[in-house]
Amino acid sequence: MAEAAVPTTRPFLCGDALGIDASGRATLIGGRCADCGSETFPRVPVCASCMSENIRAQAMPRVGILYAFSVVHVAAKKWKKPMRIGYVDLPNGARVFTHLDGADLAIGDEVEVGGGTVGEDDEGPITSFVFRKVRR
Amino acid sequence: MKGVSVIGVGMIPFGKYPDTNITDLGWPAVKAAIKDAGIDPRRIRAVYSGTARGGAMVGQRIMGRLGLAGLPIVNVENACSSSSSAMAQGAMAVAAGAYDVVLVIGVEKLTKFGGGTLPLDEDDWEVRLGLTMPALYAMRAQRYMHDYGVSLKDVAGVSVKNRRNGALNPDAQMRKEVTVDEVLASRMIADPFTLLQCCPTGDGAAAIILASSAVAKQLSSDPIEVRASHLTSGRFMSGFRDMTSPEITVRGAREIFEESGLGPEDIDVAEVHDAFSIAELIYYEAFGFCARGEGASLLNSGATGLGGRIPVNPSGGLIAKGHPVGATGAAQVVEIVRQLRGQAGARQVEGAKVGMTHATGGGISGFDHGACSIHIFQR
Repeated sequence: MAEAAVPTTRPFLCGDALGIDASGRATLIGGRCADCGSETFPRVPVCASCMSENIRAQAMPRVGILYAFSVVHVAAKKWKKPMRIGYVDLPNGARVFTHLDGADLAIGDEVEVGGGTVGEDDEGPITSFVFRKVRR
Repeated sequence: MKGVSVIGVGMIPFGKYPDTNITDLGWPAVKAAIKDAGIDPRRIRAVYSGTARGGAMVGQRIMGRLGLAGLPIVNVENACSSSSSAMAQGAMAVAAGAYDVVLVIGVEKLTKFGGGTLPLDEDDWEVRLGLTMPALYAMRAQRYMHDYGVSLKDVAGVSVKNRRNGALNPDAQMRKEVTVDEVLASRMIADPFTLLQCCPTGDGAAAIILASSAVAKQLSSDPIEVRASHLTSGRFMSGFRDMTSPEITVRGAREIFEESGLGPEDIDVAEVHDAFSIAELIYYEAFGFCARGEGASLLNSGATGLGGRIPVNPSGGLIAKGHPVGATGAAQVVEIVRQLRGQAGARQVEGAKVGMTHATGGGISGFDHGACSIHIFQR
């Protein structure tokens, strides 16, 4: 089970790139080029494949494969440490840079999107999307 | 590239100069290069000055300090490739016949940020979400070790070799040898990188004087030819990319070897961008010094050490010489020119005739790197 996005009055660090789908699950919202079909995350105003500006919001696949990750001990004060970050490859071809949760991660793991707290600053907790290992 | 030669080089020892401003870091390197060339400074027709984080008008500040302003000065920002990109611009201007003598500067003051990882631009999506340069290279290392079954001890061997070289270089920031156990026992920064697998924070400046080869013959008794000069940017890839083989350097290597008619077997000595230990292994492979996945074996064979088949980073590289980012490319040129002239002292690569420099960098979303500039020099 993925955790639902953490409710907060403060916007997610990732802005509207994290949404909730019809069944209440956290979902990444990226972009799909209406002209060439390229899907990217995050959503950007112009397509890097065909320069079209006709980019629609597109829900991303929720599960991907962990390509690489690191457990980071030295980073700006605001980040929760150790900070686990990595790249996740989604089946639609998008690669997502993300925070990760879990001490037993390995390259090649199936990971699923959720929400979580990734740090804290003067304004309170910093929240964003977080991938976790799929438990079966 | 035809008709461009290096006639003078200079640098200040890389290190921490928190009480010196960037102008006063820069001018001594320029003065040293002018003295090395033995020319009247008024022969300089244009200046290309690289800094990544030094702010605006750094070239003007430095030339003004020396009373040499009043000529075309171009300030170049290209992250860790800032002064290697300035070098490419200067060489191109001379090759095009626009100027017969130009000055290239690289200068940076990182101690002003007070330590920690290099500050990156928070406009960038991945940086905003928490990416740091050590973390980016750490992911490369993790994937490389996963794909090729290489141990962390092998990767850490890069730091041991480069610190050994740095101990022989009076211009290096880190001048103490370290053992592989010391490297692995140092403080964890971004798994698998401990502190001693990361380049240090520091300040520095380096300068190069280029001349058309015709003028170089008149002005210099020992000019070094710029055999090839290459600059490119990374390709944006929003999806999968193989982080164990940076396309920007692989493509740059292929193109500069095509341009020069040379191959990896022709390079006698190289300075490559070892910002973190893993990078040097990946670049051995990108330049074809060995096959994919063979970087650690090449290192362990001693081939890339002093006295080996292809010594890499005899200066100590970024890990030991230091990496004041915008100064790095120019300092690599200083080292290779000294090597080709036979002026490298205890770290001299015997009989080196062809040398190469490689500076790449810029951590931005969707790119292996933002910029990469490679140069090949020949005596």
